[in-house]
Amino acid sequence: MAEPKRRKDINEEEFFGFAKSYLSEAFPNPQRLGCPPDSELISMAEHPNEAAHPIVSQHLTCCSPCFSRYMEILANLRRRKETGQ
Amino acid sequence: MAGAVPSSSLRISPVDRRGRKIDPAVLAAAEEILPRAVAHGTKLLGDLAVIANLLEETAAVVSRRLQSDPSLILNLPGYLLICFVRKVNRVKSRQVVTVSVSQAAQPNVAWADPSEQLYTKILLDEFLVRCDFITRDMASRRMAGYSWEEIGRVHGMSGHAAEIRVRYVFQQVRGKLKI
Repeated sequence: MAEPKRRKDINEEEFFGFAKSYLSEAFPNPQRLGCPPDSELISMAEHPNEAAHPIVSQHLTCCSPCFSRYMEILANLRRRKETGQ
Repeated sequence: MAGAVPSSSLRISPVDRRGRKIDPAVLAAAEEILPRAVAHGTKLLGDLAVIANLLEETAAVVSRRLQSDPSLILNLPGYLLICFVRKVNRVKSRQVVTVSVSQAAQPNVAWADPSEQLYTKILLDEFLVRCDFITRDMASRRMAGYSWEEIGRVHGMSGHAAEIRVRYVFQQVRGKLKI
């Protein structure tokens, strides 16, 4: 008798990889509705603060262009910190 | 993940198109999951009227199940969302798909395969809803390749504490959805 097909467990690293790819492409928002200015994304990346950025944080979960930009800002920030600038 | 698609124009009827009544509790749950259901349904099917019909049909079936044994359903909105996503997926799989040669030549996009990534998508959706501001920021930094130590430093805690905080939500959602 054939074994029943078992779903593969989702591990955390796969989950975050999937999340990045999904959030980067699944919400195109071509009209850029509700997008915050770049300065707000930079400010949240440098000093995340719940009181200052609650809407921006929510917006990133449903706008791929802003999410991709935020990923880029975080990567640049990390690189700057690594090189001590 | 609400917001990408306007769901405000959509109203859920208390009776589905086959005349089956929807329980008020299930109707309230349907209203609660509406933005996420519309976002998912629109991506796969595109037609708001079809999505509304499917959600009403799912709500009617869940209403019957709820009446037959209320103890079966612990988290009504989560259960309804999973049933709806599965229904959308079934409808999508029955559709005839025509793609251009250029589309067919493109590499597969992981999130666009509805059956393969369905559970991860549901998990992510619920995870983002459950996260508070700090946990969501930690998860975003993890997606951007930060180590837990780096994430902990940003939020004034140890790397281990940051990891535990994110893992707690992840495990909680996995347990709740049984994924």
